[in-house]
Amino acid sequence: MPILTLTFKENTIAVYRVVKEKSVTIGRKEDNVIQIENLAVSGHHAKIDSVGDGFLLTDLQSKNGSFVNDELVSSHWLQQGDSITIGKHTLTFSYDVYEKKPDEGEGKMDQTMVMDTDTYRKMLGKAGQQLAETRDSEQEPVGILSYLAGGDGEIKLTNRITKIGKSPSSEIVVKGFMMGSTAVVISRRPKGYSLSYVDGMTKPKVNGEVVKESVDLKDFDIIDVGSAKFQFVIDK
Amino acid sequence: MVVIESAGITDIGRKRKDNEDSLFLDNDLGLYVVADGMGGHLAGEVASKLVVDTVRDYMKRFKEDEDIEELENFDETLSKEANRLLSGIKLANQVVYKAAQSNESYRGMGSTLSVVYFTDKTFIVANVGDSPIYLVHDGSIELLSVIHNVMAEQAAINPNEAELMGERFKHMLTRAIGIEEIVEADICENQYFKGDILAISSDGLSDKVSPDEILDVVRNERPAKACQTLVDLANERGGDDNITVIVLKVTDKHEKGGIMGMISRIIYPLKKIFH
Repeated sequence: MPILTLTFKENTIAVYRVVKEKSVTIGRKEDNVIQIENLAVSGHHAKIDSVGDGFLLTDLQSKNGSFVNDELVSSHWLQQGDSITIGKHTLTFSYDVYEKKPDEGEGKMDQTMVMDTDTYRKMLGKAGQQLAETRDSEQEPVGILSYLAGGDGEIKLTNRITKIGKSPSSEIVVKGFMMGSTAVVISRRPKGYSLSYVDGMTKPKVNGEVVKESVDLKDFDIIDVGSAKFQFVIDK
Repeated sequence: MVVIESAGITDIGRKRKDNEDSLFLDNDLGLYVVADGMGGHLAGEVASKLVVDTVRDYMKRFKEDEDIEELENFDETLSKEANRLLSGIKLANQVVYKAAQSNESYRGMGSTLSVVYFTDKTFIVANVGDSPIYLVHDGSIELLSVIHNVMAEQAAINPNEAELMGERFKHMLTRAIGIEEIVEADICENQYFKGDILAISSDGLSDKVSPDEILDVVRNERPAKACQTLVDLANERGGDDNITVIVLKVTDKHEKGGIMGMISRIIYPLKKIFH
């Protein structure tokens, strides 16, 4: 396993061994694996995780930042001889001479792995929090159909699939002799909303154009389904 | 009912010693599954196989008996079939999770899962992880699955930073089957049309072959040939990972009921190729 050598002004202070599956925390406070008592060092400054066969340094949004080979990093895969600067101290990352380094292994870079959720959130820092919030509140933009004719109000397209047609089981019921039981469906896809014609003599129109199969919906599109008319908008 | 021509291949590639991918396809069930396992010492193989088998067996029950029990946690924003598929995925997650917890040598194993499931008039696409599902419709290709890796999620928030993160993060998943007790799949449901083509693959293909190249191959070759062409292409470019691909094409669409539906009962060929 690789070792970390802590130095201050060219004097070696301590040597730490990095062990697989264990995080090495670095900071000013006592609960860190590597404690550096210096005011330039944040309480919980950075950490090193063993991920797959490699080791990942993550800056824990420290006040003065973490540097690897004099470059500011938020996260960095450690390599033989990397010099990590924390405040005025330096940690040198090195493998034992005979030890197999991850880069020498066959295609280890391609090995798929799953990130521990906590590690991931911390690694992404604020962006990660944003992501978590987006996920939690399902803030995916929602499409809305507003009636322009043939009805009142608006329909939020929260469903993955919304059916429009004569059938009472449709989310939006539109009557008419030529109307299919399900005439039109609107799908919510990763890229956005898509409208498809399904069956019946009445084909839908989007901005006056007859839809024979399917079209992607854009903000402010006007949709005709028989006697009903809608406007599509994305609620952001 | 829908008539589908389909084919699927899984190939070990050129660098790996084991094939950790699994696949399943069945035109009768309208079910197409790709799983890319991970975890050393055969655990990846076990995980992907467990995932595929569980989803297959779970979905088979609905084919045999239409009205089985009402599902728990029914999501009102999804169709009945989509709810069934999601509970199949949840079950697969529990099966792998428990297997990983109970056996020391399986600890930490997991798998991606990408499924396409046809109902009478629609097809449902669901996935966990980074195995892509593409739809080819009207001459263009669209990714219908959601890629659950660090790069893709970061790109959604901050595209510039994602580029700096480098290749390594591409293979770091944020979600997978069997890693945590509960998993959430991304899902969408779409209308299908005659001529639509779907391609499901593991990242062993999508890392080596671009969507436009996939589009070109599946439009010009029939599914069985297209699968082979795509696998060969990925191998020529290094074959760094296991390569799995399913290509399916909607060759015809029969409306249920009506006179046309009555006369046109066609027995369609089942094409399955396991490599």
